[in-house]
Amino acid sequence: MNTNADAIVIGAGIIGATTALALTNAGMKVLVIDRGNIASGTTSAGEGNILVSDKAPGPELDLALRSRDAWFEIQEDIGGGFELEAKGGLVVARSESGVVGLRALTSVQRQAGIDAQDVSEADLRALEPHLSHSITDGALYPQDSQCQPMLAAAEILRAVRMRGGEFIAGANVTAINTSNGAVTGVVTSEGTFNAPIIVNATGTWAGQIAELAGSSLPIAPRRGFILVSVPTRKIIFHKVYDAEYVANVSSGEADLQSSAVVEGTQSGTILIGASRERVGFKDGIDFEILRVLARQAIALFPILADIQLLRAYRGFRPYAPDHLPVIGEDPLFKGFWHNAGHEGAGIGLAPASAQLIVDGILGRTSFMDATPFSPTRFTRGEVS
Amino acid sequence: MITFTFNGLELTARTGQSVAAALLSHNERITRLTRISGKPRGIFCGIGVCFDCLIIIDGKPNQRSCITEVKEGMVVVTQDGA
Amino acid sequence: MEHKHQVIVVGGGPAGLNAAKYAANAGCEVALLDSATRLGGQYWRNTGNEIEDQATHHDFDQGSLLMDAVTANPRITHYPNTTIWSAAILDDEITLRTQDDVFSTTRLILATGAYDRSLPFPGWDIPGVMTAGAAQSLLKGEGVIAGKRIVVAGSGPFLLPVASGITSHGGKVVGVIEAAGRFAWLPEILTLLQNPTKISEGLGYLLTLRKAKVAMRFKQAVVAAHAGADGLLDSITVANIDAEFRIKSTYSLQCDVAAIGWGFTPDTSLAGALGLKEEVAADGSVVVVVDDNQCATSPQPEVQVFAAGEITGIGGSGLSLAEGAIAGLSAAASRTNLRQLKKLRRRAHRFALTLQRVYSIPAGWQSWLTPETIICRCEEVNYEAIQDVSEKFGADDARSAKLMTRCGMGMCQGRICSRNVADLLNSPDSDRIKGVYRPIIAPITLGELAQDGLL
Repeated sequence: MNTNADAIVIGAGIIGATTALALTNAGMKVLVIDRGNIASGTTSAGEGNILVSDKAPGPELDLALRSRDAWFEIQEDIGGGFELEAKGGLVVARSESGVVGLRALTSVQRQAGIDAQDVSEADLRALEPHLSHSITDGALYPQDSQCQPMLAAAEILRAVRMRGGEFIAGANVTAINTSNGAVTGVVTSEGTFNAPIIVNATGTWAGQIAELAGSSLPIAPRRGFILVSVPTRKIIFHKVYDAEYVANVSSGEADLQSSAVVEGTQSGTILIGASRERVGFKDGIDFEILRVLARQAIALFPILADIQLLRAYRGFRPYAPDHLPVIGEDPLFKGFWHNAGHEGAGIGLAPASAQLIVDGILGRTSFMDATPFSPTRFTRGEVS
Repeated sequence: MITFTFNGLELTARTGQSVAAALLSHNERITRLTRISGKPRGIFCGIGVCFDCLIIIDGKPNQRSCITEVKEGMVVVTQDGA
Repeated sequence: MEHKHQVIVVGGGPAGLNAAKYAANAGCEVALLDSATRLGGQYWRNTGNEIEDQATHHDFDQGSLLMDAVTANPRITHYPNTTIWSAAILDDEITLRTQDDVFSTTRLILATGAYDRSLPFPGWDIPGVMTAGAAQSLLKGEGVIAGKRIVVAGSGPFLLPVASGITSHGGKVVGVIEAAGRFAWLPEILTLLQNPTKISEGLGYLLTLRKAKVAMRFKQAVVAAHAGADGLLDSITVANIDAEFRIKSTYSLQCDVAAIGWGFTPDTSLAGALGLKEEVAADGSVVVVVDDNQCATSPQPEVQVFAAGEITGIGGSGLSLAEGAIAGLSAAASRTNLRQLKKLRRRAHRFALTLQRVYSIPAGWQSWLTPETIICRCEEVNYEAIQDVSEKFGADDARSAKLMTRCGMGMCQGRICSRNVADLLNSPDSDRIKGVYRPIIAPITLGELAQDGLL
């Protein structure tokens, strides 16, 4: 099958969708393919976090700050339809050491450009009336936002198609063709498609796609569970989580780590995340994890004890050894670009990551230096 | 015979009856108003599968009236939204 | 509390009761878990009042004999009011959790039954529209007649006991509306005649209805419902339909209850949560795959899971009894009477398939829908929203429809709508099977989940 696409994006999750939109808006004709359907991987297994609060100063924070604003630009660009909401994050601390740590974090975050407001006990109650009385300190992050990621991917891909792009579902990539050190096309279950640029936006499975071309990427799955309550009246107004969550996000430990992230959604349900453990692609539901999440959520909001649990789901977050995303051209093959490994922050980081890819492809100066995310960092021996 | 209240009204029921059946025998057919459109709903599947006959019982929302046995002194209230 | 049992049976209907009885008689120690207060399942649903119950059940004698035998058997422990919210196979053991207890075993028999299949139509969410099973359970389980002017409609032999039960208890049935033709069973007469008890049962109902001058209407269906000023059901639109269920002409009928049943949907929530192999049966329902001994395909071969009754395919009480007996014997590794039981099962199965053919549901019901017709009752997702998913987003699979519209994501977890959504999207079997996967089988409060002690 012949296609006249300028670029092929593999993966119809949020990373693939935003990349396709950025490429399209840069004037390229884009073909998006996915072995499943829209957002059939990690995108639909998350809460839709667009966070700056859980980042310490560094390249990922720069990416997150730009990306957060880019989300609202996308909403403007395509007309919304994906429940984007600047609901604000509220990070709370319960232990004395937690309070000290949180104050230290907000201080450096403010210097790095985050709007991080230390919140007194009285103000905490005003922000979240049902918060446990044992919690006395917190920090408010008005920039923290949320969207419905499945709808976001769908609406963005719809815009891509309306602007001349194409999406093919159910196309499983079986080979990536290369010639003279450059990619030339992909062989899929739905036919072969040729283009001089191929973007690997397959998240947790990005390593497997890299291998098809004869390259490699050290991206592994980190399992996480999310609990979903029955629809209820609005009792939680922000994305509320324990300061310990920040430590877990950047942890390299394999064992289960969990600190509840609690939030209400526009559909009335309450989401409770987020556990993290490195157990490979392990299937099934682990009830001990659900129990721990429930306990932690109730510790934040005692009112949740009487709320019914309706569903639980798990996803596999893609992560690299240094917990930074992989954004850039493959060290071995020209035209082969990776945009993957965003771990639990893929929704939030997607638009700015897409911008880095497009600027890289076009050789433009971007809003930040993309070197820290370069796939070459693994082969250079900087990260093992 | 047992006595319970529905929206403040005192009603009687037979021992062992479900809340939905007890309400129906007094021609009370609406157990809740839906969350989104506010439309009335009542008993539908009758066996606890469809979750349509949800009602507030003794302060607890989302109780399935068709499979919850009515008890003496129970306070039953129409569920308005979630 | 933790309970370990040699054999655990889930479900107190015909299949579960017989499974418990046969396993216990073969020497096993058995726990019988049932969500209801009294044994009998939906089929032998009863109020516990003997005189009243005998009047509403044609074969209640058989049922009460079986229930008595199970209750009297010292090897069987009955756990009533036991709702399982989660199930897992871990470390060569099957674990079932209820709010307060954990049950574990290495031999499990699932007999979780079925519930009415519902088809959507404009107004089916109005109070007063209910399933035929709801009207029946109100009558049999609660002693309450569902309304003052009742229409019984849909398709299948179940409509007759519902209508005749209401009639014989003094209720007014203003019409029985059957979508199949009056003589739809004629081509299958030979199989039907091999089941004389079923024939005489059916004739008994018809006689009751005739005496009460209840009109039987064929090749008709309820295609719309209308509310009065009070928001309650006031009238329905009945259509004369063709063989594909498309509307030919309509008329209006006053009623305060429309009890509608389109056959049954197996409740495989527990089987799905355990990861048992499922498939799509000829009637489009998702069923548990079993071998000749009612043994299901367990993801871990160290434990044995059997399935019996409606969850292996809709087939009625006779088939359920036979399958339950075979599952009970197999769980006990006994072969007593096994051959004879399998012969019984074969005959009952043939009869079941015949009924499925006679009362099959062609796709024409989809033409009854308007853009505003609610498809997912819980999340109030209408037909237009589901069509939009494929038209707007180019995704036409059930999963996309679910995640983008929230259909099937509400309180019932798709028990009512997932089959209809799969039909509307013409979903492949794999989507239909995924559509019935529910890791949390029944809602549990976060406080209950968080409780100490039980794992």
